[in-house]
Amino acid sequence: MQKRVVFRHRWLPYLLLAPQIAVTLIFFIWPAYQALETSFFLEDVFGFNRTFVWFENFTALFSDGSYLRSFWTTLIFGLSVTLLSMSTALALAVAANRVLRGKMSYRTFLIWPYAVAPALAGVLWFFMMNPSLGIVAYMLESTFGVDWNHYVNGRQALLMVIVAAAWKQISYNFLFFLAGLQSMPKSLIEAAAIDGASPARRFWTICFPLLSPTTFFLLVVNLVYAFFDTFAIIHATTSGGPADATAILVYKVYSTGFVGQDYGSSAAQSVILMALVIAMTVVQFRFVERKVQY
Amino acid sequence: MADLKLNGVGKTYAGGVSAVADATFEIADAEFIVLVGPSGCGKSTILRMIAGLEEITEGDLQIGGRVVNAVEPGDRDIAMVFQNYALYPHMTVRGNMSYGLRNQGMPKAEIDTRIAEAARFLQLEPYLDRKPRALSGGQRQRVAMGRAIVREPSVFLFDEPLSNLDAKLRTQLRAELKDLHKRLGATFVYVTHDQIEAMSLADRIVIMSSGKIEQIGTPMDLYTNPASTFVAEFIGAPPMNVLQASGQAARELLSLAPDAPADLGFVGVRPEFLKVGDTGVKAHVTLVEPLGAETLVHLALGPDKMIMRGGQDHVFEAGSEITLTLAPSDLRFFDPSGRRISAA
Repeated sequence: MQKRVVFRHRWLPYLLLAPQIAVTLIFFIWPAYQALETSFFLEDVFGFNRTFVWFENFTALFSDGSYLRSFWTTLIFGLSVTLLSMSTALALAVAANRVLRGKMSYRTFLIWPYAVAPALAGVLWFFMMNPSLGIVAYMLESTFGVDWNHYVNGRQALLMVIVAAAWKQISYNFLFFLAGLQSMPKSLIEAAAIDGASPARRFWTICFPLLSPTTFFLLVVNLVYAFFDTFAIIHATTSGGPADATAILVYKVYSTGFVGQDYGSSAAQSVILMALVIAMTVVQFRFVERKVQY
Repeated sequence: MADLKLNGVGKTYAGGVSAVADATFEIADAEFIVLVGPSGCGKSTILRMIAGLEEITEGDLQIGGRVVNAVEPGDRDIAMVFQNYALYPHMTVRGNMSYGLRNQGMPKAEIDTRIAEAARFLQLEPYLDRKPRALSGGQRQRVAMGRAIVREPSVFLFDEPLSNLDAKLRTQLRAELKDLHKRLGATFVYVTHDQIEAMSLADRIVIMSSGKIEQIGTPMDLYTNPASTFVAEFIGAPPMNVLQASGQAARELLSLAPDAPADLGFVGVRPEFLKVGDTGVKAHVTLVEPLGAETLVHLALGPDKMIMRGGQDHVFEAGSEITLTLAPSDLRFFDPSGRRISAA
């Protein structure tokens, strides 16, 4: 009996793979190449002519104070979003794992935010936090005396997009943490209880270390999310402002290219971001996959 | 060291399902008690209630004279060995064994002494720095045992600890367990579905069926004087022959016992008490299983089936007819509900 499928024709396997290869080439490889190529040129706004300038776009970026600030903003934003959404999700997952009655409805409600489109999520937060008509902004003012105006206050603006972006990602993290907790043998927790560990100690010495493969995986996924997929939320709430306080690297790519019409610089920024993604993916495959504890 | 008292202990789940009802018995200090029964009979539930992993819904439980219904598992002075061992996969053998002691805040020097002692005792010394996944089944079993021993509890609980091992290792560890009990002098409560394990380990056996205790007694007591047909058929391999009193086989066997009680439901006889004789009951040999020292002979008396344990003095042949005889005192009588009728 032959177990492996063998193609007799030379072209058939290529034909069968062609759609996938075409999609990859047209939508991933080609634009990536275009970005790489454009990053070495200076182009006029209408795209009539362009000059090859070697690495000038890159050197210009790294001597540009606003771009370097954007690096910091991105770092603060990414780490805060990851930390906030992962810790909230873990707390919710631990709680949901203990719920005995109405399990399904709890879980379904907790997964809902993930189904909200990023731009819509942005609009939701835009209305809630709007200094003149937002309900949350109003309550902050009346209850805590906080003068909320993220159009003027950069810190408040950054805080708002961090919370909005983290909120959006909680559902995803929650699902993974819950699955991780449920696949944990119950007898381990019971053994720890008999070994005299308090519930908190049980969590930190048994559950949390055993969740580490899930945690590492989510860490990378969340960082990638915060760095790249939060564009819509930022665009809908703050548009990168005020004074670039919420302009993370992806937003910079957009504003430089589409608003500033500086295609060369925008492409160079994309290339830097690409390198970042590749680095993170390598970390995930090489380091994280091997870090699995048991 | 401590004794245990179960007083009307029961477990009813939120849905109204009762897993254990009215379990009342005492376990003496340093006794080896085995809870045995078919799966779903509630034996593990009782063990888990003793451990504090399952809430006791009726009655009360005392360990060493103290009611512990509301006491946390960690404060009950017990240790438990789980069926799947429940070793912490991210800790080394040493880490696994020291976890409970570290939780108590014991000084490091004393922890080290205790672990060294237990490791020597269980021959685990070469493996102390390995993770559980790098150990064989038998070694994991020993680590689970070691984790219990180092805590020096007064009561050890075992939940089918040998059922994941192969037959040879099981026999070996069974003997080690018995030896361990003797050396530690602690109270052992052991759950199994394997009646051979129960017979060979226990000082006393608690045999259960569908949430109720059928009988409590020493292994030989249960074997020779089963309180019900359930016990008679559960203990012993092959089990006791239990025959409908109205059936052909029972009527013929009863003809050998003149003083049988009146309101009979079932008649029982152990396979080894059936003998080949000159006069008695005729039976067909349907199947012969030679096991070396003994031979299991499957018999048919009309529609009824029996098994006898034959010695090496007689050659049995399938298809032949033999004459059975027995001593009337070896017959056990049960009423129609299956309870034992004690000999008058």
